[in-house]
Amino acid sequence: MKRRTLWTTVLIGPLALYGCGSAAGPDSSEGGGEGTLVVWDWKSGDATAESYIEQAKADFAEKHPDVEVEFVAQPFDQYYNLLGTAIQSGEGPDVMLFNGGGQLRDRADALLPLEDYLAEDMDRLAGWEAFSADGHVYAAPVTLQGHPIYYNKTLYEEAGLDPESPAATWNDFLDDCTTITDATDAKCFAMGNKEGYGIQFFLSGLGSGVLTPQEYDDWIAGNRDWTSPGVKQVFEMWVEAEQDGLNNDGVNSTAMFNDEFAIFEAGEAAHVIGLMSDVGHWKEFNDFLDAENVGVMPAPLVNPEAAPSLPYDGGIGYGVAEWTADPELAADLVRSLTSPAALEAFYADAGAIAADTTIDASDSGPAAAEIVDQIPTGRPALHVALSAETLELMGRLSQELLSGSVTVDDALSQLAESDQAA
Amino acid sequence: MPIASSPTPVRTAPGLRTGGPPVPRSRAGTRRGVRPLSERLAPYILVAPAVLIIAVFRLYPLVLGVNFSFTGDGDRNGQTVGWDNYAILFADPLFRESMRNVGLLVLLLPVAVAIPGLLATFIYLRVPGHRVYRSVYFFPAVLSPVIIGAIFNLLLAFDGPVNTLLAIVGLGPVDWLGDPDVAIFAVVGVHIWATFGMALVVFLAGFATLDASLIDAARVDGASLPKVIRHVIVPGLSRTIQFVVVTTMIGMLTSMFGLVYVMTGGGPEGSTYLPEYYIWFQQGQMSRPALASAASTVLFFVMLGVGLLQLGILRRSGRED
Repeated sequence: MKRRTLWTTVLIGPLALYGCGSAAGPDSSEGGGEGTLVVWDWKSGDATAESYIEQAKADFAEKHPDVEVEFVAQPFDQYYNLLGTAIQSGEGPDVMLFNGGGQLRDRADALLPLEDYLAEDMDRLAGWEAFSADGHVYAAPVTLQGHPIYYNKTLYEEAGLDPESPAATWNDFLDDCTTITDATDAKCFAMGNKEGYGIQFFLSGLGSGVLTPQEYDDWIAGNRDWTSPGVKQVFEMWVEAEQDGLNNDGVNSTAMFNDEFAIFEAGEAAHVIGLMSDVGHWKEFNDFLDAENVGVMPAPLVNPEAAPSLPYDGGIGYGVAEWTADPELAADLVRSLTSPAALEAFYADAGAIAADTTIDASDSGPAAAEIVDQIPTGRPALHVALSAETLELMGRLSQELLSGSVTVDDALSQLAESDQAA
Repeated sequence: MPIASSPTPVRTAPGLRTGGPPVPRSRAGTRRGVRPLSERLAPYILVAPAVLIIAVFRLYPLVLGVNFSFTGDGDRNGQTVGWDNYAILFADPLFRESMRNVGLLVLLLPVAVAIPGLLATFIYLRVPGHRVYRSVYFFPAVLSPVIIGAIFNLLLAFDGPVNTLLAIVGLGPVDWLGDPDVAIFAVVGVHIWATFGMALVVFLAGFATLDASLIDAARVDGASLPKVIRHVIVPGLSRTIQFVVVTTMIGMLTSMFGLVYVMTGGGPEGSTYLPEYYIWFQQGQMSRPALASAASTVLFFVMLGVGLLQLGILRRSGRED
């Protein structure tokens, strides 16, 4: 009996200390050792990024010949899990790659504010908003990521439409889709929402044609009215597109990466809301459909007061860990990773729209040229302004909207609640 | 049964000793009184490595995890938040869905056990081609869940071969992985397909211990196949069946992550969430480690409950022998 009491005390005793310490670990520790900087990313292992890394390393070696830089390429699907573990233990890389938006903002606590170190690059590079939080800049943009509407000019021609003047209004766009589907059997949109990303691209890709410039700015600034007629209309369009047969079959079981893009590349759908860099973008489509057959169109106008613009943000960027031993040294490496020569190499080999606005993109086909033309008037994408929790909920609700198990009003009120809590 | 036979040699040992030269009573008493310290400590030192390993690598992390589940995430990192995480957890429809799915797995357990059991019975009864089936059935067990998931992603795609076959026989397409009412059954079905080979082997081993003359006798008496299975095979295999039930249950609760990750990613509409996927999602994707700790703690107690229940069943069946 006594022994049992002893064991119970041993087992239960520590529980009395419940709620001590923290699940996210201590606040400070060091990264790489003396004279070494460790970089984590998911790019440096790619063959297409090789010349970019070489250029950046060379640029850095000129400034700091004694410092060794070690690139550790992590698998992307595990990247934020591994990074989360590193942040929890307070040890890990000195410099790390981030996707702009929520993924960075959620981890801003573990990052060093960089605006003082990067002041000289502010004008040359675009896309800083996605790497800023609470008035501080936490990473320097390498690529721009956005959501242009790509269309297949061959299908337009086959349907007897002028491929050089796509529809400017939503009603004309729907008419064109009907014409294309009747003539070629191709669907209007290639759409994949298995991961819940389809709605994000839909919202950002078409949102600038629905919301007025004022509503758009308010949304980005954080004053989001989820019950406004404009926002409601985007979500109603999401449901109607499915009900009217604009999408390919099985949207909720089609993965955006890469089944959705494969549908567009196979010519089975006339439009896709894609990306600007990395995957599902102009370079990939050019390979399948030939550069001259890939077009980019502005969002069709739904509301006459709206002003369609290219939705884009900083795509990926390098930030500095708060625990690094020498912040200035690490910030210098970030500057090398965003140097003009390195970004030029990244644009040319990886097919990314680089954050450097001085790079000439005219030789990469009409789609890339059109995107680069629209960058000066572009605005941040609507979905990037949302928190990771709200995006996750929006993905789930968008699937329920397609299957009809939730109404648009109900979905919007849940989203408003989640958005306010975040 | 080793436990039943062990008392015999133990009992003979004192008997042998009494047969030897008598030891003076007083001397034995003093020796017990002044047993050297090293001898008294020996048992503790011998078990220390095992106890330390369990304490440091099992109990300590467990206690730490429970501890973290009472702290906050994000801005409240490191602060004590009481039961807040558990309140968030049980208010979260995703977590409730994952718990409902655990219940569904328990309900589907008989199916997962019956399939390898029936197939093993057919092999044991030497249906034509039984040698081929024996290896074919085991084959999926050597594939990794990621490969299996990728294969079934292709097969079960909306425009995939399964729906094409259904269309040939005039049935409408089923969105296997996109319909929230169907997806969880598709994933569990694939899991059963992928793992029943191991249970089948266990069943075949159980059949090896079955007395063939009982089946022959039943057949001579004119028993039909269902009756032979019901009254001869099932009672004869009761211990094997219990073992398979326990291992299949553990397998379903702890090793479906890979399939869920590859096939559905928890979707559609969160309908295929399981607790381990939820834990991974909150910790890695949402960077909420404290909430993930709370979910882990709940999963731990669920597993503890299931484990104790199974131990009870096993112990009861041990007594029957």
